[in-house]
Amino acid sequence: MSANIAQSAALEHEHPGVSIYVTVAVFLILLTGMELTVFYVQFLQPVLVPLLIILAIAKFSLVAMFYMHLHYDSKVFTTFFIFPLMLAVTLAISLLLLFEYLLHHLSFAL
Amino acid sequence: MAAQPKPLPVEGPHYLEGGGILGWLTTVDHKRVAVLYGVTALLLMLVGGTEAMLIRTQLMRPDNHVLTAAWYNQIFTMHGTTMIFLVIMPLETGFFANFLIPLQIGARDVAFPRINALSYWLFLAGAVFMHLGLVTHVLNLGTVPSGLPNAGWFGYANLTESQYSPGLNIDFWDIGLLILGVSSVLAALNFFVTIVNMRAPGMTFMRMPMFMWAILVTTILILLAFPALTVGLIFLFLDRFFGTHFYRVTAGATPILWQHLFWIFGHPEVYIMALPAFGMISEILPVFSRKPLFGYPMMAYSLVLIAFLSYGVWGHHMFATGMGPIADATFAITSMLIAIPTGIKVFSWIATVWGGRLRFTTAMLFALAFIIEFTIGGLSGIMHASAPIDLQQTDSYFVVAHFHYVLGGGVLFAILGAFYYWCPKISGRMLDETLGKWQFWLLVIGFNLTFFPMHWLGTWGMPRRIYTYAPGMGWSTLNFVETIGAYIQAVSFIVFFANILLTLRRGEKAAADPWDGRTLEWSVASPPPAYNFAVLPEGGSRDDFWVQKYGTLAGAHGGGSSAAGATAAAHAAAEAAEHIHMPAPSLYPLLFALGVFLMGVGALAWLRIVILGGMVVALSIIAMAFEYPAHGEEAAESEPVFYRGVDNRKAGMWAFLGSECVFFTALISTYMVYKSRNLAGPDAQILNIPLTSFSTFILLMSSLLMVLALAAFRRGDDKWGRIWLLGTAGFGCIFLGGQVYEFTDFYLQGLYMQTNIFGQTFYTLVGTHGFHVFIGVCWLVTLAIAGFLGKIDSKRSLAVEIAGLYWHFVDVVWIVIFTLVYLMRTVKHA
Repeated sequence: MSANIAQSAALEHEHPGVSIYVTVAVFLILLTGMELTVFYVQFLQPVLVPLLIILAIAKFSLVAMFYMHLHYDSKVFTTFFIFPLMLAVTLAISLLLLFEYLLHHLSFAL
Repeated sequence: MAAQPKPLPVEGPHYLEGGGILGWLTTVDHKRVAVLYGVTALLLMLVGGTEAMLIRTQLMRPDNHVLTAAWYNQIFTMHGTTMIFLVIMPLETGFFANFLIPLQIGARDVAFPRINALSYWLFLAGAVFMHLGLVTHVLNLGTVPSGLPNAGWFGYANLTESQYSPGLNIDFWDIGLLILGVSSVLAALNFFVTIVNMRAPGMTFMRMPMFMWAILVTTILILLAFPALTVGLIFLFLDRFFGTHFYRVTAGATPILWQHLFWIFGHPEVYIMALPAFGMISEILPVFSRKPLFGYPMMAYSLVLIAFLSYGVWGHHMFATGMGPIADATFAITSMLIAIPTGIKVFSWIATVWGGRLRFTTAMLFALAFIIEFTIGGLSGIMHASAPIDLQQTDSYFVVAHFHYVLGGGVLFAILGAFYYWCPKISGRMLDETLGKWQFWLLVIGFNLTFFPMHWLGTWGMPRRIYTYAPGMGWSTLNFVETIGAYIQAVSFIVFFANILLTLRRGEKAAADPWDGRTLEWSVASPPPAYNFAVLPEGGSRDDFWVQKYGTLAGAHGGGSSAAGATAAAHAAAEAAEHIHMPAPSLYPLLFALGVFLMGVGALAWLRIVILGGMVVALSIIAMAFEYPAHGEEAAESEPVFYRGVDNRKAGMWAFLGSECVFFTALISTYMVYKSRNLAGPDAQILNIPLTSFSTFILLMSSLLMVLALAAFRRGDDKWGRIWLLGTAGFGCIFLGGQVYEFTDFYLQGLYMQTNIFGQTFYTLVGTHGFHVFIGVCWLVTLAIAGFLGKIDSKRSLAVEIAGLYWHFVDVVWIVIFTLVYLMRTVKHA
């Protein structure tokens, strides 16, 4: 058992320090604040959707890269996660297109 | 090359010996679990076959009344459901893959032995649950509802709604499939991690046996396809039990949503069944042609390409729903593209056989017949890819002919070939070749007599799923011929089962390598010992065992493997085996599945039974978490837990999260589609942004606490590790409290789940996320308790990291929900 644990320690990836974790948290709060700003400020309404999507992607990426350690860990895990994620996003877009949602949404946004 | 085990005679106990009934109930040995799967699936094959015979007997003559229309609906529904979910899938993955994965990649067991056992018991629970209505019917329990599912294996909405199917028939199907889905996903997760992470050191991906490639790709398909079905089934469950309207047009919803969700799962499901069959054939043909598999890299790449394309073709099942010309054209093109990698495989199989020194064993005959029958089914499949042609053929017997050539003449033939090929390894005895050839020829004749005329009947306009037809339709003669063919098939399966029973009683004992095989499973005794390999193999070349025997892939000539040195090797193996420590048996997987079964039964009528089942499940999970020896501590000191640089548990969690991506995507997409279709009542304007912004802040900060807990444990500061863990759980509770407040507020404002389609999709999506948070909180509290008990420290911080991955995933899902549901609440249709 001790050999396993020693090997476990040897194979573990590097983790970021506490300061990085706190910095990411600060960015997450700032990005959430920006989201709320975009939501409430009237003149940003025409670009509400793209701005919110960009901000959400930024938050999502920060958590995945630093808190879930994808930035530091084996690339195998990144593959495990990113491929299904891309597939899921493609399926979602396909479904929305098939139900004509995006068509109507675009005409609304414009 | 490092020393590798030679074929061993049977010395000492093999995996089938010892343990008694309790040993089988608590087994976590992949080979025993495989046998449990195999026996159960074969019994269910008898059930599915009997259903097929009832269908054909009913259709033998016009105006026949062997079955009533109501019983016919139940029988054809259960024939499809049984053959797909309870026979083909469990035989391919639960039985053959389960047995062969560790043996072919050079491992001692699968990555998660207890989860493997759990997958089987859940499979059994789902199978029994689906037939409960038949049990109550046979027992004639009076007021207790009875009857089998009766809306087709596809369960199209809104035929499945309680308005049109008021009994419990559909509930048995819905809940049964949900249980089976969990079983399948767990099994896929397990096999995926095993193949990716536990291969022999020298076995690169391009040296894996082709069956392993097929199973690897199949597990990915299962992980990423089943969540769509699960979401569809949850919607159906809510419609039937809670009065929501996910598939009701009158509420603004559309039954087409079910078709999309079902076929997003359903077409990959075709390949979930077909790809393992491709893998089996790719193992059998080279052995009996005495040639390596032709075009190995292209065979592997084509598997991947088929799987990738299979996610983009679901619409070809829905041409008749009127998706529009752009969608029709897109799905037609993607569907036709699949013919390319499939064609590569067919030509590679032919080229493998071409010029070989063929041995026409029963397994080889089935493999060769597979190529022909599957190609026939594949060609008619390409016809369906064309929207105009499909519109003529859809819902006719032409389609029945097509998929039976793919799944019967294709997949089932491959499975039967696999039985004859691997039975010696599994049982230690040879199936009788004479009986096998009788079975083969009876099946080939019976199969083609049954299904080929269906092409004509379909073209002449005979619709599928009708329980009888009028005499003057011109369909009588061919239907009679088809029924004769079905009876010939039945005789062939009687021969098959007789062969199995005779083999088990007095069949010829099998040598370790009776076929002069190419892959590692033939290097161990038949049946194998519990630990598989006394010395783990290196796996340094493709067709590794063949290369050991003959030096090159093409190989020297001569039959049979060398047994030289086998006895000495056996003694060395026996000595090594004394130091091999295998995972301990466990009763908890069985109890877990029993709890799930009770929850399903309770859902039909008695809430108290649901609670009881839930408690059994929860206690089983906790007991497994603390069961000794803990995961990773059960191997001997000399054997590494890590195989390829990553931990199995972490790899499993990431694969699970990948599957969850599709699950939440299906929920979110439904919300997006339905939000704008709301007809009346409160809509997204009701959403409370300030409250939810605070909840978002809390959840984001909980992620910070989670990583601080991990950091503390890693540096050996257990006290702060426990504090941060409890803090994370506390923030999770605050988040859940906010959600309870929000839901209560909406309820008081008149927004119930049944109010409108906004309410149902909102509560379902956000509630499902909340349930995930609740599970996470329970997990964190359990970890904190483990920390207080001294079971979590810097050396075991991985347990915290894995829980953290789940927690952060819940966080990123909320980031998406917060944006799409809350902040985009004003975005609507024009």
